[in-house]
Amino acid sequence: MLEIRNLKAEIEGKKILNGINLTVNPGEVHAIMGPNGAGKSTLSSVLAGRADYEVTEGEIMFEGKNLLEMSPEDRAREGVFLAFQYPVEIPGVSTTNFLKTAINETRKYKGLEPMEATDFLKFMREKMELMEMDKSLTSRSLNEGFSGGEKKRNEVFQMAMLEPKLAIMDETDSGLDIDALRLVSNGVNKLRNKDRSFVVITHYQRLLDYIVPDFVHVLYKGRIVKSGDASLAKELEVKGYDWIKAEVEAAQ
Amino acid sequence: MSTIEKLKKDFEHYRAQADASAFAQQRESAFVELQKLGIPSIKHEEWKYTNLKFINDIPFQASCLHTEAAKTYYTQNIVQTLKANRLVFINGSFEATLTQIQPEDAGIIITNLASARIAHADMFSKHFGKYATVEGIALNAMNTALMSDGAFIYVPEGKQTAYPIIITNISDASEVNVLNQPRNLIVVEKNAAATVIESFFAFGNHASFCNIVNEVYVGENASLEHYKLQRLLGEHYQNNYTQVFQEGNTHINQVTLTLDGKFVRNNLHFYMNGENCNTLLYGLYLLDGNQFVDNHTRVDHAKPNCFSDEKYKGILKDKSTAVFNGKIMVHLDAQKTNAYQRNQNILLSDEATVNTKPQLEIFADDVKCTHGATVGQLDEEPMFYMRSRGIPENVARKLLLNAFADDIAEKIKIPELVAILEEQIEKKI
Repeated sequence: MLEIRNLKAEIEGKKILNGINLTVNPGEVHAIMGPNGAGKSTLSSVLAGRADYEVTEGEIMFEGKNLLEMSPEDRAREGVFLAFQYPVEIPGVSTTNFLKTAINETRKYKGLEPMEATDFLKFMREKMELMEMDKSLTSRSLNEGFSGGEKKRNEVFQMAMLEPKLAIMDETDSGLDIDALRLVSNGVNKLRNKDRSFVVITHYQRLLDYIVPDFVHVLYKGRIVKSGDASLAKELEVKGYDWIKAEVEAAQ
Repeated sequence: MSTIEKLKKDFEHYRAQADASAFAQQRESAFVELQKLGIPSIKHEEWKYTNLKFINDIPFQASCLHTEAAKTYYTQNIVQTLKANRLVFINGSFEATLTQIQPEDAGIIITNLASARIAHADMFSKHFGKYATVEGIALNAMNTALMSDGAFIYVPEGKQTAYPIIITNISDASEVNVLNQPRNLIVVEKNAAATVIESFFAFGNHASFCNIVNEVYVGENASLEHYKLQRLLGEHYQNNYTQVFQEGNTHINQVTLTLDGKFVRNNLHFYMNGENCNTLLYGLYLLDGNQFVDNHTRVDHAKPNCFSDEKYKGILKDKSTAVFNGKIMVHLDAQKTNAYQRNQNILLSDEATVNTKPQLEIFADDVKCTHGATVGQLDEEPMFYMRSRGIPENVARKLLLNAFADDIAEKIKIPELVAILEEQIEKKI
């Protein structure tokens, strides 16, 4: 589904990603871990198409299409979803209106008619129940005045509505207390299926207690330096990142 | 020939027909004031960013021309679906054939000022020229000396308008460069309530200059919904002066929408002359090309326990320019004043300009006043956020700008006006 080959990227001349290789197959959950400054958020930004980053080498193929040549909106319409680390507050635009626009623009892209208003509301109600969302959140301005936990849950709710093929979750656990973490993770787990893939970016292992990954990769200095299964995350929790840093230094 | 000399010729023409009334006296002294002041230049603090040079440069004629084009324009371009009372003025003179009065509003006087001066002489002389001072304000003096006609609205004590009153001013510059000087007088008596929409249109290949003065009196415990809608195409210049005089316990909601205008200067003054007044003033300007709009507002808190809330927002494209100058004057007696003021602007181009200046002058010591001004671009983060959900850039921009304008749109209680605003946002973006 997703094929990242030798990806190198920089921002304002500063090299951040130094040759990433990653293959994600349908239905797989990949966790990307790593110390601060390793390039985790850069990777998610490059995948979503944030303009600040310049890709200097390599390629990203998504279902056989060159992702790097697509605008952010086209990536979304092709089925890539980014759950933001810091979801943006948009005063004056309700979550309902926002999602209706997003869904209908995607349908338009695929040559489909816009969703009927009643069908849309029904669909939204179902997803709200599934995600255990408070009804009042959807009529309020998007993320405006939401708590940290509400914002993250709203991201997962949007994911449920947009039904992506690939969801990239950028430090979704940051700033969440344990209850919010459980709610968010439950939401994500309900969306897991044999076709939908996840790239879960996190600094801490605790999110992975709830969202159990198939693969864990350690990102350091802009490269994936170690890969393993879910037990690698446990090991990192116990031992920290220093031993990996040492391994990398020794290998050089 | 200088502008003042030209105006003097016009004035002498009026004077030849003048009677010995107090009204003629008012015009006479206004003209003396105009000659004394001259047309203000940009050296004048109040006109620093707003250059009136065009008054000298363009050979305007004080024409009261009514062309068929204007009537056609009116019937084709002005919302007719809204059930309302209507008065129409073309180039400053009354077009009686387009008047509409709803039977439910028969108890309210809705007529033109020239006939009201005779038919309702008491009310006219009690209020005319009492609020909009000519002293030190050259363009008010010019209007008072040389005004043509305008609307006269009188809502008697305890009455309410059943339907809005729409006063339409059309500047028709299809044949010559025209100068219009309309004058409105709106009186809402004690315990009465009214909705008034002032609608301004301009079109034609020549230049036009509309120098309008509105005087509004709102009696004790009365309320007024007041809208100004400016859709001014072509080479149109407008100086729009409004003085609102409020007695105690009055409630005013005022919204100014400038949706097009090459050169617009709005002067909007409220004077709260009693306690427990609520004055809400909001504005939205949508500018593109070389359009220029200047909103000068002034709110006088003269008595204690009054509330004012002011918010003006602007969206500027291309090389357009906006000026905002909001003065809040809290007089010595006006304890427990609450006054809020904000001016927020979004620039959609590097070449658009905003000059914004909040001014608070506070002489009482127990008051709450805040003000703030922002000038910025559409933020990139919300834009990227929306795009990352599949919403294309142009749709995202429209959503964001609609959201920005929504603050003001929600102050408008007439859905037809909101629809015009939304249509215009759609068109301009």
